Amino acid sequence: MGSLDAVRASIAEQVKFDILTQTQDADNEKARQQVARNFVSDTLTVPSKDMYIYASMASLGDDVYHEPSTLALEAHMAKLTGKEAALFLPSGTMSNQIALRTHLKQPPYAVLCDHRAHILRYEAGGTAFHSGATSLAVHPANGHHLTLADVQANIILGDDIHFAPVEVVALENTLNGTIIPQEEIIAISDYVHSEGLKMHLDGARLWHVAIETGKPMNELCAPFDSVSLCFSKGLGAPIGSCLVGSTNFIKRARWFRKLFGGGMRQTSILTASAAFALTHNFPRLAAVHELAKKLEDGLKKLGINITSAAETCMVFFDPSPIGVDFAELLKRAEALPNPILIGGSRLVVHIQTTKEAVDDLLALLSTLAEEKKAAGFVYSPQANGNANGNIYIRAREKSK
Amino acid sequence: MMLCVVNNCGWAVFDFGTYKNEYTNIWLRSSEVLPEASAHDSPFLRLESHTGMRRIQFSFYIHYRIINMSLSQLDDVRIAIAEQVKFEVLTHTQELDNEKARHQITRSFISDTLTVPSKEMYLYASMASLGDDVYYEPSAVALEAHMAKLTGKEAALFLPSGTMSNQIALRTHLKQPPYAILCDNRAHIYRYEAGGTAFHSGASTIAVSPTNGHHLTLADVQANIVLDDNVAIAPVQVIALENTLNGTIMPQEDAVAISDYAHSKGVKMHLDGARIWHVAMETGISMSELCKPFDSASMCFSKGLGAPIGSCLVGTKDFIKRARWFRKLFGGGMRQTSILTASAAFALTHNFPRLEYVHGLTRKLANGMKELGVNIITAETCMVFFDPSSIGVTHAELAQRAGALADPILISGNPRLVLHIQTSEEVVTDLLALIRTMAEEEKAAGYVSPAQTDEHRNGKGNIYR
Repeated sequence: MGSLDAVRASIAEQVKFDILTQTQDADNEKARQQVARNFVSDTLTVPSKDMYIYASMASLGDDVYHEPSTLALEAHMAKLTGKEAALFLPSGTMSNQIALRTHLKQPPYAVLCDHRAHILRYEAGGTAFHSGATSLAVHPANGHHLTLADVQANIILGDDIHFAPVEVVALENTLNGTIIPQEEIIAISDYVHSEGLKMHLDGARLWHVAIETGKPMNELCAPFDSVSLCFSKGLGAPIGSCLVGSTNFIKRARWFRKLFGGGMRQTSILTASAAFALTHNFPRLAAVHELAKKLEDGLKKLGINITSAAETCMVFFDPSPIGVDFAELLKRAEALPNPILIGGSRLVVHIQTTKEAVDDLLALLSTLAEEKKAAGFVYSPQANGNANGNIYIRAREKSK
Repeated sequence: MMLCVVNNCGWAVFDFGTYKNEYTNIWLRSSEVLPEASAHDSPFLRLESHTGMRRIQFSFYIHYRIINMSLSQLDDVRIAIAEQVKFEVLTHTQELDNEKARHQITRSFISDTLTVPSKEMYLYASMASLGDDVYYEPSAVALEAHMAKLTGKEAALFLPSGTMSNQIALRTHLKQPPYAILCDNRAHIYRYEAGGTAFHSGASTIAVSPTNGHHLTLADVQANIVLDDNVAIAPVQVIALENTLNGTIMPQEDAVAISDYAHSKGVKMHLDGARIWHVAMETGISMSELCKPFDSASMCFSKGLGAPIGSCLVGTKDFIKRARWFRKLFGGGMRQTSILTASAAFALTHNFPRLEYVHGLTRKLANGMKELGVNIITAETCMVFFDPSSIGVTHAELAQRAGALADPILISGNPRLVLHIQTSEEVVTDLLALIRTMAEEEKAAGYVSPAQTDEHRNGKGNIYR
């Protein structure tokens, strides 16, 4: 048994940890190259070195008390979106769920949304868990976006004791990369507000709508009482989302943020990265959309079905007309000398996607089409197409 | 010396060493497109030496302004939107602001959460891996593996905060209600997590006041626990202990005794070990031994260890798998987390050993205050709880006077003083000098100190208002 000093030294030896690998620079180069050829999601975008250098120079506060860069970013986001206040959060999931939780006062109540919505499908049952709210999932009659007619046909109102009436209508823009026509949003909003209900926007990718349509952010946000926006997706920041709304709404949301465990400390590295992304990466979305359209054109030329058009940064496709299924395509893409990663029917183009990756993917599909033709494949389109209307097919096997 | 031109506005770093080629390329590309690019009116250079670092030799910063290349591809409407969207978050005096902030932190006793990342920490962390933690992020996985091994558990999970870590631990242990948790009535999970235990898990809390005024004992637990299946009650399913609690150390024998009893009754044990690092450093007991009596433990990187953000939850594989699901549900699934996990790794390596200095400084402060006649309630690791009424001073007065010094000292006005790795020797000296001054003022005004009582020394009741 050594002295206490020796014991402390041995504990320090156990505690310490060098997280950088022996080949970290090379690993990161490889990772950056892979991201450039990865169509699975835009959440994979990685911070550039400049982004981190910039962010590491930002303020040094504690966001539970007072963190200057975070407050500055929140003020900017409020102004940009035409709302009174804003709140920085660690994720879009937390941002959406806290928005709903803040709007909803006393049950019974329900949230009306598109049946494909992230808040319904990909937030692990949050709406029910955090708020005890029922979700009214609506299939848009036009297959593209909810209309006022859809909302009116499905909404539950009034105080019949059997029902959980809708208190919040939540829209998502973009949804699967598609843009909701702003006139429709306004029509829904006017109706919802006339019934004394609230409007929330899951605007994780609202940036893409602004760039594509040329409508300013505050105009896009005006019909909504609250909006959630992401920094970590197409904008390429490492982490974070922003919720905007009235002063009272955001004050309560901040309380919920602490309750949910989202109160972080020295957040400036994250908020300054977000600021960098707003300045340097937002303008690049126009080129992203062009590349997505180029990809779509290429797919169409090969005879592939486009199940959801490249209105912004995503295209959904169905390769069955050329006799290829997703699992096969996934495997062949991964097996390329310079691998391409896809997740299934959704292809996401982002600020780090290269033109080469798009060209190579199209070339691969062309090769596969040729192989199938040579093997005798003839396309016979099914009369009813995709019966359940689910265009988002995930083919990635959990083989890791 | 080359001018480095990267993007619109802001800062660029030109690194010698490993990154030279990359920045050379960028410079060449820029100069081809924008031959008229010029440096800002008042550039300044600062040379920093990082000879301690593995890869970077040194870097310098130039502030300049150039035309944004990507905007040239947009039409006017989109340019107008981009102009609204963009945001410069650095102030014109950011370097000075930060120097001031760093100096203030050396003189703040408010909390150890205020500790700020060093430049070395960020430089290191910015070199780490580039994954997405909802899918696979190498540094997060590596840190979690290290934390599991260190604590003697099967698995670990990185989380954005201690609040989320504790609440998810409880949520994961608790299966079907009715149920209750038992904890100290001063516990963070009970008082400072915004009612999370009830909100997230629908669990009752049995909040126990330790009879010895210092820490829960087996006797306290047995006297307060409810276990039977009487339909009127919500039985305890988790006992949560906190170590350190208000900076005090729970004797390991008591933790073991409670654990043995709890496990014999099929009750789970959770440790809020936000500051468990201080226990390891002070007692010399290893992290794995400290965590052994517990089914799960939560530890913070962002407090005394000085990392910017984050906590870690450890437990069995199944427990952590379910906790990861809850993390997503709670909205704690973050993306490129390596800047945070690598900062945590840096803290484990470089800041953990400095806790010994922090404890030494805490003892120095406490002893100095005692010599001046101040009642010291506890001072076991990095916190001093004190009562200055023995010298005729109130907490509020002390805080106000400290804040009014030429070089202000920041005190919260409650009985707690927290020391941390960035607390300076000077501020301790200055605070003692201020207390001496105020004690003398009181004496001169005719104040006579009362006899000290045992009750005061043991800190009965709520010392933390």
